[in-house]
Amino acid sequence: MFNFFHNSNIFIWIEKLINFINSIFFVLLLVALSFALIFSPPDYLQGDSVRIMYVHVPAAWIGLASFTAIAFLSIINFIFKIKNLTLIAKSIAPIGLLFTCVAIVTGSIWGKPTWGTFWAWDARITSMVILAIFYLLFILTHKFLLEKSKANNVSSLIAIVGLINIPIVKYSVEWWATLHQPASIKISGTSSIHSSMLMPLLLMFFVLILYCALIFLMKYKTEIIRIKKKNLKRI
Amino acid sequence: MINNLILMNGYGIFVWSSFVITFLVCGIFYYKTRKTLKKYEKEFAKEIENLSAEQKKIVLENSKIASKILSAYNKTI
Repeated sequence: MFNFFHNSNIFIWIEKLINFINSIFFVLLLVALSFALIFSPPDYLQGDSVRIMYVHVPAAWIGLASFTAIAFLSIINFIFKIKNLTLIAKSIAPIGLLFTCVAIVTGSIWGKPTWGTFWAWDARITSMVILAIFYLLFILTHKFLLEKSKANNVSSLIAIVGLINIPIVKYSVEWWATLHQPASIKISGTSSIHSSMLMPLLLMFFVLILYCALIFLMKYKTEIIRIKKKNLKRI
Repeated sequence: MINNLILMNGYGIFVWSSFVITFLVCGIFYYKTRKTLKKYEKEFAKEIENLSAEQKKIVLENSKIASKILSAYNKTI
């Protein structure tokens, strides 16, 4: 069982997974795009501009989920000092930053036809910008702090402090009077979104999750090779 | 129908720019990540190739990852 978690076994599985995702990704992407841009109905109030939701919402979900994952990995790493967790957190961070930025930009584009402005210092938007700053700090720590253990400690601290921002992002639309609408999809309770829109949204989310997995696996593989390369003389 | 798809009742510019930005950025990010991975694989394989025959044998016997990368690299050249 523990043999499975050996780096060389992980490496072989990473290769297999990358090939598998590559083989199904474009077909699923085409299906998801067809639903998002053609088959899903326009909103009765927002018209066709609602289609921006199919990239904006999954991007925001991924941005939030990635940082939550990084923060929890950092907490565990802070206590148990597991090297692999640092590698995983380091590989997730750029993906999270990418999707947080995508959520901000597409949200801004959606804001123009809906609110009449590209930007407002609204609670949800501001807290998302703060999330992007936390991501940036996390990544820059690993880039500029040369001493590994110091970089790990500082980045873990950033992630743990940044975790406070996650519920603020989530509940900002309920705590403050904001331009941003409240959540239409609820895990507990009834969602106010129609199934004809929910299905394409979940499909697009699944495709973007696959993309994240692909990037994560490639980044993780790069990190493993980087370590092996450093330790080559010791093998 | 094509016209409707492009114009989207006046919202086309917003919808299409959102999708294009998202997938363009994702594409660039994928390309950069893949390029970095290939660069590291190539450098690692070259370092193994540069080892003495004895060192190379030890490395390949002790590291599945090293032998996998080296065989993949040899296939590409």
